[in-house]
Amino acid sequence: MNTSTLIFVIAFLALFSYWFAIQRTIKLAGGLAKVKRLTSLPRQFGTLTAFWCGLPALIVLLIWSIFETSVVHSILLSSLTQEVNQLPLDQLSLYLNDIHVIAAQITDGELIRFDEENLKHRAARYLVETQVSADWMKSGLVLLVCVCSVLFIVSRFTADFQARVKMEKIIGGILWASSGVALLTTVGIILSVLFESIQFFSAVPPLEFLFGTEWSPQIAMRSDQVGGSGAFGAIPLFAGTLLITAIAMLLSIPTGLMIAIYLSQYASERLRSIAKPMLEILAGVPTVVYGFFAALTVAPLIRDFGGWLGLSVASESALAAGLVMGIMIIPFISSLSDDAISAVPKSLKEGSLGLGATPSETIKKVLLPAAVPGIVGAILLALSRAIGETMIVVMAAGMAANLTANPLESVTTVTVQIVTLLTGDQEFDSPKTLAAFALGLMLFVTTLALNIIALKVVRKYREQYD
Amino acid sequence: MVDMSSAESLLSQDTQINGTVGNCYSNDAKMSMRDVNVYYDQKQAINNVSLDLARHQVTALIGPSGCGKSTFLRCLNRMNDTIPICRVEGGLTLDGSDIYDKNMDPVLLRARVGMVFQKPNPFPKSIYENVAYGPKIHGLSSNKAELDEIVITSLRKAGLFEEVKDRLDAPGTSLSGGQQQRLCIARTIAVSPEVILMDEPASALDPIATAVIEELIDELKEKYTIAIVTHSMQQAARISQTTAYFHMGQLVEMGETSQIFTNPAHKLTENYITGRFG
Amino acid sequence: MNNMTNNSLNETHLKNSTSDKVMYSETYSVTEKVSASLKRRHRKESRFKAAGLLSVLLGFCLVFILISDITYKALPAFHQHWVKLEISFDPSWLSLKDSGESSLLSANYRKVIKHSLYASFPDVKGRKDKRKLFKLLSSNAEFTLRDKLIADVDLIGTKQPVWIRLDDDVDSYLKDEPEIGAAGARVDSQQAGWIHTLQIQNRIEKRFNIAFFTHGDSREPELAGVKGAFTGTLLTMLVTLLLSFPLGVSAALYLEEFAPKNRWTDIIEVNINNLAAVPSIIFGLLGLAVIINIFGLPRSAPLVGGIVLSLMTLPTIIIASRASIKAVPPSIREAALGIGASKMQTAFGHVLPMAMPGILTGAIIGMAQALGETAPLLMIGMVAFIVDVPTTVTDAATVLPVQIFLWADSPERAFLAKTSAAILVLLSFLLVMNISAAILRKKFEK
Repeated sequence: MNTSTLIFVIAFLALFSYWFAIQRTIKLAGGLAKVKRLTSLPRQFGTLTAFWCGLPALIVLLIWSIFETSVVHSILLSSLTQEVNQLPLDQLSLYLNDIHVIAAQITDGELIRFDEENLKHRAARYLVETQVSADWMKSGLVLLVCVCSVLFIVSRFTADFQARVKMEKIIGGILWASSGVALLTTVGIILSVLFESIQFFSAVPPLEFLFGTEWSPQIAMRSDQVGGSGAFGAIPLFAGTLLITAIAMLLSIPTGLMIAIYLSQYASERLRSIAKPMLEILAGVPTVVYGFFAALTVAPLIRDFGGWLGLSVASESALAAGLVMGIMIIPFISSLSDDAISAVPKSLKEGSLGLGATPSETIKKVLLPAAVPGIVGAILLALSRAIGETMIVVMAAGMAANLTANPLESVTTVTVQIVTLLTGDQEFDSPKTLAAFALGLMLFVTTLALNIIALKVVRKYREQYD
Repeated sequence: MVDMSSAESLLSQDTQINGTVGNCYSNDAKMSMRDVNVYYDQKQAINNVSLDLARHQVTALIGPSGCGKSTFLRCLNRMNDTIPICRVEGGLTLDGSDIYDKNMDPVLLRARVGMVFQKPNPFPKSIYENVAYGPKIHGLSSNKAELDEIVITSLRKAGLFEEVKDRLDAPGTSLSGGQQQRLCIARTIAVSPEVILMDEPASALDPIATAVIEELIDELKEKYTIAIVTHSMQQAARISQTTAYFHMGQLVEMGETSQIFTNPAHKLTENYITGRFG
Repeated sequence: MNNMTNNSLNETHLKNSTSDKVMYSETYSVTEKVSASLKRRHRKESRFKAAGLLSVLLGFCLVFILISDITYKALPAFHQHWVKLEISFDPSWLSLKDSGESSLLSANYRKVIKHSLYASFPDVKGRKDKRKLFKLLSSNAEFTLRDKLIADVDLIGTKQPVWIRLDDDVDSYLKDEPEIGAAGARVDSQQAGWIHTLQIQNRIEKRFNIAFFTHGDSREPELAGVKGAFTGTLLTMLVTLLLSFPLGVSAALYLEEFAPKNRWTDIIEVNINNLAAVPSIIFGLLGLAVIINIFGLPRSAPLVGGIVLSLMTLPTIIIASRASIKAVPPSIREAALGIGASKMQTAFGHVLPMAMPGILTGAIIGMAQALGETAPLLMIGMVAFIVDVPTTVTDAATVLPVQIFLWADSPERAFLAKTSAAILVLLSFLLVMNISAAILRKKFEK
């Protein structure tokens, strides 16, 4: 049985055990009329039993699935001859790949002729046999766990069995575990990124990575060169990211802030009611659409305009990517700043107006200074967003790692390089692939720091006016 | 005017108001309001109110909550302009010039008619900057020394200077409630207004702080014309020279404070000051 | 300011008994002083206000330009040009042995088409010109004939008018009618002449492009459609919803209703807030390193995409659900607990149903975010070129945003329109989701 069938079987068994437990409970109480004597309702007994049926089985299934591939892999390896086992790593993986392909053909019945002399064919047959028996073992084990745990819990049913309390404990446990998933995700991110980065840094010194000014990872691809001989100086990437982010911020901070100010202080109810959806549209447009817009509309426009002015503009200029990223960030800044400005007590505004200040003086001298922490938080969050933004730069910024501050030239960013390094053919342990994880680590650390500071600032600010 | 013959049901009070009882005009009026009507959208909040604010006097506006006294007060320096659905009709003049005239600049008006609010609302700036705020935006001082002088004089007039002279750089919000309210008064008088409107300035304060504020108001009337909305009849009695009693958006009775509190002419006023409702 | 403090303590200031008088006499000059700068202040005011209005208008302009630019570019993708050919299904040309399906499948349809085409243009001589003529047709013309013949075997030996797709370059030429020989034009003057002849003979027709909605991806723009990507998106979203919704709601319920206030809860809370702002591409790295390389799930599969996206949307759903659960008045809980319900029964029976509309709104918004997400899916290999429409969550698949990314990178002119059209499909999908969220929210507010 494959995993999805097995899950359906478990679900069916759980339903069955729900019904089974209810029947048992009624019998235990001595008839439907006497059910009230029990400390819990029959359906609580049923739910408890269903949990006992499903949960252990699912956990066993999960653990099995996680380890199955690697166990089968090592069984296969141990069945192969010494010679094969001593092959260099890349040839070995090719060899194993062939075996897997043949095995797939055997299971699908597509293999034209089985060759008893062919080592690979024999290994493939062995692999298929192992897989089939592993499958049987998995199904058998899971079903056994189902039945045993149901029998165990049902055997403990008595009239004063606290089924409800036990059931609620299990549900509480599930809820608790769910809340831990987010934490596990973070841990997973940190571990995976960190682990691969450490491998990378054993090939490329961290200082060279952090302060090197030349980035050309493609050299490391060539098989006749030992890994690490490519240039992995990330400074051009950091500079490119900063340049594009700075352009985005230059557009989005003033625009977003002015939109927030106008909508919260000046605009009529009518304008607000149509401007809010407008901002939601800008915020909801997927980044890939912005990327398309940047690459195919804005970039040619800027190039043509620059050409008209007599400037030479790269067709994938930082300016185009930055401007469109700025458009993307505008609603983010405006909605967060709007919140910050609106959180300033109305009495402050009235106090200033009552002294004869004009609305703009009130905004500039009272509301904005009072809302500064909230606005700073908004800008930091927006900054972290711009730095981590991928699709716009992948589509509209270049691949060339130029170290320049000229917005009309093409630059590349951290995220662009992560995507470039990890899409297409890859060997997992080459420094080229690992470099992507090192960049990911830098990105994660930077954005995390920005987020933590921003959230702290915003929280402090909220406490001030609560 | 109608005389109440017997104890009537309080439910039919609105039918009993036919114009204002007492003397609502002054020979030396700083501000005069004639037939003022205020609407929030469709709802009428102020109904045909006419009264004068006498120069260098404290005029108290009293009445049950929701009677429109605050709304009326906010008309006097056009603070209601900030509420889009609010509409003001009638003749309102300051020294004879119409304050709702097209040529009357609300900025200038508010500089001349200052306002102190119910809850102390110091800006999140230093004590000094709070007081200097008005003079700075209006350009009242030409140099730092002049500004310093305005700040110190205003703080002193508000009776706050001695308490804060060592910490003018401290944030205004670090002061106690009563001090904050006096800071707001100092902030208002730093602009040298002619009229000061006070909207229940002591309602958020403890009795001791209230006493200080009341004393201050009494002193301030030497130089300013003051209108104060208050919930507390005792307060009105203590500090005001003239009292106006509002009820359901109408001015029921107005006259000398001593007369209103000892011998009210209108049954509603009597009911209110004797505590039958409020 | 420190200066000021020193000044303020200056004896002359403290004893300045005349200052009161100065201010009093100043009272009347205040009006003049204020009036002096009024004009300047009002100019500043209107400048500031205008700047605000301008920013708002800029926002409207940007939305308008964005949408209209994409719509304008997308329009050509919804139509296609077809040409009518008189085809004689001659068994000898087709090299048919019998009328069985296997021989029909491998018949030589190209020859039949060439015969028909050359008959229409008898004066075209020479291999080169003939090849150019044949290039007017879409490369799937043969399959059109094949399908027609398989559907009706009786056509063998007859002469039939058959509508065939034109090549994407010809199609683009007919839509734009650019100058011949202009840069980027992929139709030369000779081909343009043939097309013109066909037009005069009324043998070219513009039809609605159904293939765009019924085909999977293709290297040929005239055959490429979004069905594969659309199905991939549905499968991925299904996985995402099934994982993130129960997990998110359970986590929110735990944090709001059961969690003790301790370090553990604090850590989870901070963690969720930070996770919500982690760049999406990092989740892609997680998926690649953990889900594919450690757990060994298949690359390019909607299952993996769904898992990655659900981890990404989880914080959004948790935060929205918590806010919604928090908004349930405590009196509801007290009432339920008061009549003897357990904490669990209160949470599931009373709090959760009341919070549901808000939770659903949050879930839809989270799903909409996931729907538009591209970067993490690039990391887990959903960028592969896949023609087949996926049927299960473990098939190799791509999703709409990635399809847009792939098409945007294609050099063929016709893909520009396809990309824009795919964007319109994606945007309308999103619009539907957001409108339903808005309706839910409105219902909730009542």
